[in-house]
Amino acid sequence: MKEGFRQAMAWLHTWAGLVFGWLLFAIFFTGTLAYFKDEISHWMQPEIAAHSLDSEASLALAQDYLQQHAAGASRWLIDLPDARDPGLTVRWQQAPGKPGERGRFESRTLDAQTGVEVQGRESMGGEFFYRFHFQLQMPYPWGRWLATIAAMVMFVALISGIITHKKIFKDFFTFRPRKGQRSWLDGHNAVGVLVLPFHLMITYSSLVIFMSMVMPASIVASYGSDVRKFYDEVFPASKTPERADVAAPLTAMAPLLAKASEQWAGGHTARLSVSNPGDASATVVLSRAGDRVVHDFGRAVTFNGVTGQLLSSTPDQPMAMAVGGAFYGLHMGHFAGPLLRWLYFICGLAGTAMIGTGLVIWLGKRQLKHVKSAALPFELRLVEVLNIASMAGLVSAVAVFFLANRLLPVSLAGRADWEVNAFFIVWGLSVVHAVLRPGRKAWIEQLTLGAALFIAVPLINALTTPWNLGATLMQRDWALAGFDLTCLATGLFLGWAARKMQRTGERVSVRKAGSSPRSITVEQGAN
Amino acid sequence: MKGKLATLPMSYRLAVTSRVLAAIFGGYLVAALASVTLTLWLPLNRAEAVVTGMTVSFLVYLAAVLWCFACRSAWSAWVGLLVPSVILATVSGAARGLGLA
Amino acid sequence: MLLALLLTYAGFTALCLSMPRHHAELLGAKPSTRRRQGLALAGWLLLALSLWAAVAASGWSFGLVDWFAVLMLSALALVLLLPYRPRLVMALAGLSLLASPVAAWAQC
Repeated sequence: MKEGFRQAMAWLHTWAGLVFGWLLFAIFFTGTLAYFKDEISHWMQPEIAAHSLDSEASLALAQDYLQQHAAGASRWLIDLPDARDPGLTVRWQQAPGKPGERGRFESRTLDAQTGVEVQGRESMGGEFFYRFHFQLQMPYPWGRWLATIAAMVMFVALISGIITHKKIFKDFFTFRPRKGQRSWLDGHNAVGVLVLPFHLMITYSSLVIFMSMVMPASIVASYGSDVRKFYDEVFPASKTPERADVAAPLTAMAPLLAKASEQWAGGHTARLSVSNPGDASATVVLSRAGDRVVHDFGRAVTFNGVTGQLLSSTPDQPMAMAVGGAFYGLHMGHFAGPLLRWLYFICGLAGTAMIGTGLVIWLGKRQLKHVKSAALPFELRLVEVLNIASMAGLVSAVAVFFLANRLLPVSLAGRADWEVNAFFIVWGLSVVHAVLRPGRKAWIEQLTLGAALFIAVPLINALTTPWNLGATLMQRDWALAGFDLTCLATGLFLGWAARKMQRTGERVSVRKAGSSPRSITVEQGAN
Repeated sequence: MKGKLATLPMSYRLAVTSRVLAAIFGGYLVAALASVTLTLWLPLNRAEAVVTGMTVSFLVYLAAVLWCFACRSAWSAWVGLLVPSVILATVSGAARGLGLA
Repeated sequence: MLLALLLTYAGFTALCLSMPRHHAELLGAKPSTRRRQGLALAGWLLLALSLWAAVAASGWSFGLVDWFAVLMLSALALVLLLPYRPRLVMALAGLSLLASPVAAWAQC
């Protein structure tokens, strides 16, 4: 019966992995990129200069700006600059949103030192990858529903994979390269098992992050129709007070930063949210910068907007909320310094590779049965096309997103949208290409294209902006230099992969000329 | 196996479909009921109980999904979900009745 | 984080060596039972020590995160290097053990 159980789990792992693998690859890849979203944004809007940080001064400038441009708004949001994100962002909302929904906001970026609106080229920057990985470019709320469903399938695939992997301890250190399908499986197991703590954390936390949306039964059972009360209790700082309709000037906010820091035993403010500015009911809520592992949604400090008096004393975080906060904090990794952030990135790439190798193995195993015949049956051909486009195609699309940022005219209307369009157009074209070309050739061509595109990124950067690699290294702008170098490394990796595939293919055709079928099975790589 | 798709018997395909539906929908039902039961019975304040119930629910969902594919037949998949569902529904109803909610 | 990384890498190498197949790959012969047990014990001890090192350096919440991170990174590095550069694997393990006291001193 034990054998039956393992077999059943193997079947489940194989099919759950295949059906959702393409989507999960995209989610993992873009999510991994999102760990460096601030750095990516900085590269894509290099005009926004980084200055040494002076939170009080920047806040005063932001308040002045909002007082001038958004006096009658129902809510202001101010994001203070930090080491990774040099922008001072102000947002305002004319009318409050419905409960549980985000309202509509106007957004501007200001120079942190002068308070003047910055004309950085219009771009979504790294936010595009961040938002895509949980919204999938679909209208609200469908994207996040699909992404969360994918997360549940990922969870099932992880656990069923662990159960199926009979020799998980014996083969813990096993990786045998140059052995065809065996190597791919060893690789899949290696990036899976060795990075398992990360995979389990990232998958379960993504479920917890959207649990109110996907598993609301408890909320309804406990709060009935007064769902709003639940959100107020879990996220006390987001409560919007009722307008008093009595004009009262907003207190200067800069001094509030020190008061909040006291409440947090030295922590810093990342964001201020002002409700009903200019009204007697105004409140200012200060949210802490993500410098701790366990995110505390309730820890924001609230002040009376007119008098500047501290309103709420922050209660201790209950255990249940701390667990949720831990999942959120670990997933987002806001607290990670540069070294740990790179480790997050490597773990994310490992997860992406785990999914990718799985997809390759799925097809590789079944292709072996069709070595002699000319064409693959339709189902396998479909998997082959989707494998190529969802992996090699996606990677090229990312490179094109970056290239579009440098090549599209700065003054082009809607250029942020056009950068995103370029991404999807290239991704779509990769599907067409994969359909038209035979499998192995399509892989090699797309990987080669990806290599060329990524290597082109720092080159085009040097040709179109003054922030070329040489300059940024001298100025010690590690974000910009790191970006160019990483693109270069990615291009070289893709080029190596393309050449490896080409060589494996050549070996197969040479052997086909005169040796036994067995050597083909052994030598044949993925496709 | 994919190559033999055309030769798989209809009964097999129906059984698999049944298990998949049981896993997706039946599994969700059990998970949601477990979440509610936990929420209503935990001696915590409302918000904490709700958060705990929701957080744990995905483990229950996982167990339900694994059950649907590990059990002997498609029928046992459904029965194996219905029985806990009824029990959980009763238990959470009892919480309501006892005034715990 | 450095001390924890050195200790996890050394620990994993010891655990790897405690497996007959890998011991033969790296050192030419299968290990005796005494040696296997010794290596396994040493491996687990080093991993436990690395956890202590991580928590001592950064407290429990950051320490645990750092520990898992170096755990995963050192395991990946070891397994990916093993088939290509087995002697480098051993050299790095030796270096890690030698450098550990220095890293420990630097940390405290």
